[in-house]
Amino acid sequence: MEWPRKIVSLLKANDICSISFIPDSVIGKILKEAEKDPFFHFTTLAREEEGIGIITGEYLGGRYGVLMMQSAGLGNCVNALASLTIPYQIPFLMLISQRGELGEFNACHVVLGKALRRILEALGIQHYTVDREDELETIVGGAIKAAYTSEQPVAVILSTALVGWKDEK
Amino acid sequence: MINRLEATRYLVEQLCDEPIIASCGNPKFDLFTAATKRKSNFYMWNSMGMASSIGLGLAMARPDKKVIVLDGDGAILMNLNSLTTTAAKAPANLVHIIWDNEQYQITGGQLTHTSGEADIETIARGAGFKQALTVDTFAAFKKALSQILIQPGPWILVVKTDSSKALGRPPKNPVYIKNQFIEELRNV
Repeated sequence: MEWPRKIVSLLKANDICSISFIPDSVIGKILKEAEKDPFFHFTTLAREEEGIGIITGEYLGGRYGVLMMQSAGLGNCVNALASLTIPYQIPFLMLISQRGELGEFNACHVVLGKALRRILEALGIQHYTVDREDELETIVGGAIKAAYTSEQPVAVILSTALVGWKDEK
Repeated sequence: MINRLEATRYLVEQLCDEPIIASCGNPKFDLFTAATKRKSNFYMWNSMGMASSIGLGLAMARPDKKVIVLDGDGAILMNLNSLTTTAAKAPANLVHIIWDNEQYQITGGQLTHTSGEADIETIARGAGFKQALTVDTFAAFKKALSQILIQPGPWILVVKTDSSKALGRPPKNPVYIKNQFIEELRNV
């Protein structure tokens, strides 16, 4: 399982030093890897929407941040994306761990999981899905570059094909 | 009762080039009236509630600058969870001022919960802020500012204000607001 380490090294290579997050088991694996490197700062959020504001403030001050959350968390971010980061042109990466698709056991994750990409598209946010480890450099590295070129948030979705799913009936 | 515009004017007089994040609605309108030419003002046109989070991010990114947040009672009530995050990170350079007129003034004066049982200073202390004050006279406001602009924070200052109309209208182009703010912040 190389993907957490690869993601962390791509963040560092792109000077993204601040991680704002609501954890899940997938994000937790990335955090565990990033915590080994004092390059990174961590902000535990109480609600995902806060991360949009925090990363905006960091960007204004010259520091680059990433928002890590589960697909459900995007639902908590919609107005802040629509009325802050998109019109003010604040670039950043959202790393979203996918729920509600392959291997899902919880009906209450299915609806937002299925709506995830269409919500992003309705907001005009570019999104890319990683299914295999060998795609990480192209997709994560490429998404970061596209975000800062377009001065817009860009989403990378980590699919269950990449990260696996909870073994629960 | 404290007049919000008068208090905003007094605050700006005490500052040099410190960045100010001004929440949507009347905080940003009065900031623009009080300091029209000031470039270190970030005017929010929506994303109600996000001022406190933007201020936290900026304070963490620029620990060398005192960061001022001008918020409203309605806006902070929409993002109370951010107080727990700010208290946990506890940036010493953050000053969060909340103009509390106990109403959604801009939409017609419907009452917020601070008109009843909710008390923002108590909420902030419960969230983990060690330094939180409430003032309801101009003299107390001046005295509080003289303390919080010098001593390390993070600070919460709840200012009970009247609901005079706020007539100022800052530029409406978000990208212009951002670029001007970033450029000024880079230079100082």
